[in-house]
Amino acid sequence: LIFVSFQTVCRQLNSTLWLNVGGRSIHSSAVCCKNRAARIRVGKGDRPVTYEQALHPHQIAHRKGWLSQHTSNLQGEDGAADRTVEDLFIRRLIYGTFHGCLADELVIKRRGNLLVICALMLQKLPPHKYYFLVGYTEELLSHFYKCPVKMEIQMLEEKSVYKYL
Amino acid sequence: AVISSILFSGSAEEIVIPRKKTWYGIAVLQALASTVNRDPTASHYVFQDDSYLTPRTSAEFKLYSLAQESGRTAAKYFINTYPKYFQKDFANPHIPCLMPETLELQVNEVSEAALIERIQLRKVKAAVDMYDQLLQAGTPVSLDLTNDLLDLISLYGDCDPARGDAPDKSLKPNRENNNAERIFNMMPERNRRSYGALIRGMVKHGAYSKAFNTYTDLLNNRLTGDVHIFNALISAAPEVREKYVEKWDLIVDLLKQMAEQKVKPTLLTFNAVLKALRRCGSLGRTQAFPVINEMKALGIAPSLATYDHVLGIFYKAATSAQGHTEILQDVLSEISGKSFTAQDPDDVEFFKDAMRICLATKDIEQAYRVHSLLGVGENWKLLGDSYYQSIYYGRFFNLLCMMEHIDVVLKWYKELIPSLYYPNSQGMRDLLQALDTDNRLDLIPQIWKDIKRMGHDNKTELVEEMLSLMARENQIPEVQQSFADCALDVKALYTQTDRRVPLSWSAGSLSSITSILLAAERTQQAWEMLKLFKLANRVPSESLMNQFLESVKASNNAQQAVELVQISASFCLSITPNLMERVQQEFDLTEEQRNTLSDLESSTAMSD
Repeated sequence: LIFVSFQTVCRQLNSTLWLNVGGRSIHSSAVCCKNRAARIRVGKGDRPVTYEQALHPHQIAHRKGWLSQHTSNLQGEDGAADRTVEDLFIRRLIYGTFHGCLADELVIKRRGNLLVICALMLQKLPPHKYYFLVGYTEELLSHFYKCPVKMEIQMLEEKSVYKYL
Repeated sequence: AVISSILFSGSAEEIVIPRKKTWYGIAVLQALASTVNRDPTASHYVFQDDSYLTPRTSAEFKLYSLAQESGRTAAKYFINTYPKYFQKDFANPHIPCLMPETLELQVNEVSEAALIERIQLRKVKAAVDMYDQLLQAGTPVSLDLTNDLLDLISLYGDCDPARGDAPDKSLKPNRENNNAERIFNMMPERNRRSYGALIRGMVKHGAYSKAFNTYTDLLNNRLTGDVHIFNALISAAPEVREKYVEKWDLIVDLLKQMAEQKVKPTLLTFNAVLKALRRCGSLGRTQAFPVINEMKALGIAPSLATYDHVLGIFYKAATSAQGHTEILQDVLSEISGKSFTAQDPDDVEFFKDAMRICLATKDIEQAYRVHSLLGVGENWKLLGDSYYQSIYYGRFFNLLCMMEHIDVVLKWYKELIPSLYYPNSQGMRDLLQALDTDNRLDLIPQIWKDIKRMGHDNKTELVEEMLSLMARENQIPEVQQSFADCALDVKALYTQTDRRVPLSWSAGSLSSITSILLAAERTQQAWEMLKLFKLANRVPSESLMNQFLESVKASNNAQQAVELVQISASFCLSITPNLMERVQQEFDLTEEQRNTLSDLESSTAMSD
């Protein structure tokens, strides 16, 4: 038995490795790309990056919090996709309305029926212009989503840099 | 109390961090209790909770709240102009106020439905036009609809309501109600409601005698009035008669007719009577209480407007308040602890008028009672808009500064300002007076910071008064140093040219700053101030020169003494010879200095 198995093993070896000794062939497999989601790659060291941008998504719940807080991802709750689409719409709307004034990503919280948009802004405009835009956004989004929408803004002098990548 | 004492005690001494802290058993409860009442460090709830976005002056308050409102109006414009994007209804149950409104006219053919739509959308001119078109087309319009139209015209005075929330307060006495009267005269039949609309519109827009004529028409047509008609006529009665007795007689006559026609009076009736009695002089005082008793006998509970009218009858602005001080106390005793709701548009006048009376009679106890009434139930809603609030708090703070000890004043200052009230420069001057009375001038640098923050640092009288208070007497050294820093800060305001128009120097402000700097022994800066006198074309006072001489003597600087005499001569002050004599006697002068002085002496002698 030992003699037979050794022969089959040699035959198998011949057909694989030993057959191609002295030549080269293409080995292909399915593509497996590096994960690039929400990551800023290390560069020259002159690009300022906030805490939110510097930490990668696998750090969420370790060193990062969530940017969008709602209950539709719990067991038995539905509407997660709708909430995500709403979030995207709100982020684009506010990015455009307060163009150049946002210091960091928005945090969107849903408490019951209320939608709270927490934003960090730079002191680029005089305060009465901020109040105009806040009143406009709150009213527009309330009528669009049929729920009360509130904005809570904090002002910064400049973007808070966590590190340089 | 434990926590607040820790907060206040650490201000003057060094902060020592203990190794271990033991709390009282009820410390948590005390901390929680401190969050229940109003937070005096927070701004108004409509504003964002951020220091960049918090208004610091009353102008900023108004600007930011109006900016927010105009943002909402802009959004509403888009929502109502493009309603198709906002039709999807997520809300369950349905929220009607978040749906787009149709403000444009849908129905355009000549019909009653079109008229109804125009009345609902408050489009006065379009409604009148539609009515005329309907009559020309021969379609009869129902009585109720015509009455609705008359109500609309009378309420808005024959012109469209202005867009936005500012009501058009200017009454146009002649042009109004032409449409109303025309339509009224064209009506085939009229009922009490039609007459009512016309009479109330006439009274609202100032045509008082026409209103009474229309009422006579009503009676001639064998109809009876209703409570709204009588309320309007009673409020118009003081306008159509001259003498107090005649006014009262007319009102009594109207009330009798009301009783005959079996119309029940309401709260608004009695308030109208009392408001009219305010215009009846001494007759008002005798008749006010019978009216109130009548009201109580009918079981109608008075509102704040009733009490406001009573106070207005007894406390006239011109006469002094002796002999009537019991009325305010009686009123406050009666209403203390009660919560009122808004039933009459004049309810909002009560608080500011009561505070005006407390200020005029200098009665701080009643003022506290009025203020505590504000904390009962829903009464805070009856304080009025921000303008009325600023009047109320301004009067309250004025009274406090006049009557109370400085510690109490400062406690109220922290409580009221700036969360409820932005004082004007007169209010800050009252506060400075109170500080002066109780000898707490050392607090002036802190008050100066608040004055700057509130934007009153461009008011010359306020700044000069503050400087003269600081310069009046010498203080203990730390206070004097803080005064000197404050004075230099003020000086910067006069000299900066970057952002806005700087204040212009006066002799008083220059002298005050100089003497404060001298008293704090900042001689170098004081000398720079002397140069500013020349630039600003102002003359220093003799007492200032003497003060300079004293300080120069203390430093025993002969050169500066000679310079002082030269400066004094250049201003041609009468004290110059005196100064010269003192310098020659009290200082050791070099030969050169003596020569300079003698030249000066001869030149001044020649110029005399």
